[in-house]
Amino acid sequence: MGLEWRLAWRNIWRNSRRTALTLAATVFAVFLVVVFVAMAAGLHGKMIEDTVRVHSGHVQISGVGYLENRTLEQFLRLSPPVVQVLDSVPHLVAWAPRVVAFGLLSKESSTQGVALLGVDPKREPQVSTLSQRLVRGAFLPEGTQRGIVLGERLARNLGADPGDVLLLYSVAWTTEMAYELFTVTGVMRLPEPALDRKLAVLSLSDAQSFFVYGDRISEVAIRARNADDVPLLEKELARRLAASSPVPVEVHGWQEVMPELRQLIFLDDAGMYIMLAILVIVVAFGILNTLLMSVLERRRELGVLLALGLRPASLFRLVYLESLMLAAVGLAIGLALALPAVLLLQGHPIPLGGDVEAAARVFGMEPVVTFRLKPLNPLGSMATVFSVAALAAWLPARKASRARPVDALRGL
Amino acid sequence: MIPAALPGRFGRGWRAAARVLALALASLPGLGVLAAAAPLQPPPPDVDAARIAARLEDVFRGQTSYLDATMIVHSPRLPAPRRVRFQAWDDRPHKRSFIRILEPPKDRGMAFLKIQPNLWNYIPRVERTVRIPPSMMLQSWMGSDFTNDDLVRDSSQLEDYDHRLLGIDPRPEGAPEKQAWVIEYRPHEDAPVVWGRIVAWVEIERSAPLREDFYDERGERLRTLRFSDIRMVQGHPYPHRWAMRPLDKPGHETVIEIHEVRFDESFDDSLFTQRHLRLGR
Repeated sequence: MGLEWRLAWRNIWRNSRRTALTLAATVFAVFLVVVFVAMAAGLHGKMIEDTVRVHSGHVQISGVGYLENRTLEQFLRLSPPVVQVLDSVPHLVAWAPRVVAFGLLSKESSTQGVALLGVDPKREPQVSTLSQRLVRGAFLPEGTQRGIVLGERLARNLGADPGDVLLLYSVAWTTEMAYELFTVTGVMRLPEPALDRKLAVLSLSDAQSFFVYGDRISEVAIRARNADDVPLLEKELARRLAASSPVPVEVHGWQEVMPELRQLIFLDDAGMYIMLAILVIVVAFGILNTLLMSVLERRRELGVLLALGLRPASLFRLVYLESLMLAAVGLAIGLALALPAVLLLQGHPIPLGGDVEAAARVFGMEPVVTFRLKPLNPLGSMATVFSVAALAAWLPARKASRARPVDALRGL
Repeated sequence: MIPAALPGRFGRGWRAAARVLALALASLPGLGVLAAAAPLQPPPPDVDAARIAARLEDVFRGQTSYLDATMIVHSPRLPAPRRVRFQAWDDRPHKRSFIRILEPPKDRGMAFLKIQPNLWNYIPRVERTVRIPPSMMLQSWMGSDFTNDDLVRDSSQLEDYDHRLLGIDPRPEGAPEKQAWVIEYRPHEDAPVVWGRIVAWVEIERSAPLREDFYDERGERLRTLRFSDIRMVQGHPYPHRWAMRPLDKPGHETVIEIHEVRFDESFDDSLFTQRHLRLGR
């Protein structure tokens, strides 16, 4: 066994230029895989954080059927056991109750359909960044009676500014007409155009009295430490609430609340993995080529080994070992280069400039490229490169072990 | 006047699209009504569905009509049914109508003016007039199961639809001793219409309306309007009780009881003005 290892190691370096080229290809592939996967993880992590922090939160608790219908019909109540669960569950950073409903906002001759979000002005800033997105006025200052904050496009479409009095118009929970005058306290700029055109924020208590909704709420938005904690938090909340909430509730992670974000990330990932797969296949052919060449070059030598009594299985192992060693060396160098680079970039996001920066700002994203190294990234790279090397070595190894000593020695 | 149900949130188009797709697959259009109704007798070949529809419209609305009515909203959310008393003036040739709320006291003086295609709502308590955008025509009227579109229903039932006679119902629901035409209304390709199709039962003998089923564009039946208590008024066999039941909201129903109806009076133009809207009579 020790002999095979030594032989394999020496064989690799017999044609050092070819080996160096193959190694370079492997190193390059490993480096790219690790860096790209880290970049995608960083980008997607940032997309998730930025998006859930706009308003949805990482996790939402709502009445049964709320996600499909989103009407006043689906509700829950903040009963003491529910509050106790929210205050004690691990991984939860903050929570905020809300009423979500639809209405018409009208100013003189212009009327707009709006998505109303009734929020607790104290709790909401801990969960969402709505209150930080003001461009004019204030976010429901304390003591305001019937104040409302509008998305910038909504405000523009209505021709409304802070201080203006608007008529809010809808149907109450009790099926009667609901109408009330609200004063615009602020205007906020929201990254998502659809939201910016439609969202109007008012206080939870105003929303509850406007809709004659009692102490009902539509959802509790929850902020987790980060998106990685979401599956755990979701499961834990569902378990505890099932035991303690007097009415059945549903718990949904951001993937369910914003399936379009999940799909966007999935698409983006798919594109990247296809590209990386092509890269890895190219490297696989490089390894295959190197080994095949070296096996063909060594026909006589391998024939002698066989004639001297080396068993074909040992020869097969020998060639296989050569391949795996090549892969291991390439992987080691690749990771040695990529990991420090990624760790460095993780601490120092690359700022974007020019058009890209402007585009990113439009979508409400910080114009930086961030990197994030997840443990699965180097492990996955390792597994991929090793299995590719193993696959690529199969053909040359078989060819070597099947050679007939007589033919090989004759140089056929 | 907004929904109890508006699909999706914050205009997430794709989710709505997915729902459309799912529902389209789930309910192949056309099968629903025929399966639900009693077996129909084939219609005689010489009957024109469009004429039946036109006659129905004449019976139901005349040239002009005045209504005094009470709307009763039943909902599991309410401890007792909610009642709304109103008067309505419908001027069919000019495609305009006017509605004034008399009760409850909280909403007294509230008024609706429709001059096609615009709808305004005056709210005396805050002294404001709201123009209700066309996109809101399918939303609830006064929190009932009727929509804005229902209350200011214009002649589009004749102009914007193709009519087809599906057959004769020998024992129509609610009036089993009478026979009824069953007519299907399908909107023209680009008609500004909110329903995918409507199926109406019309009593053959007097051309009185018996029932209307409303379907969305995916072929799913959303609600049923049943007419009953048909009494002759100025030669019109007029239903004095309309009951609207939304099929997606169990326990909800809105009934309109007609106290008085008068046909073909001439209405003054000043009735259909913004000024009149603000005169809380």
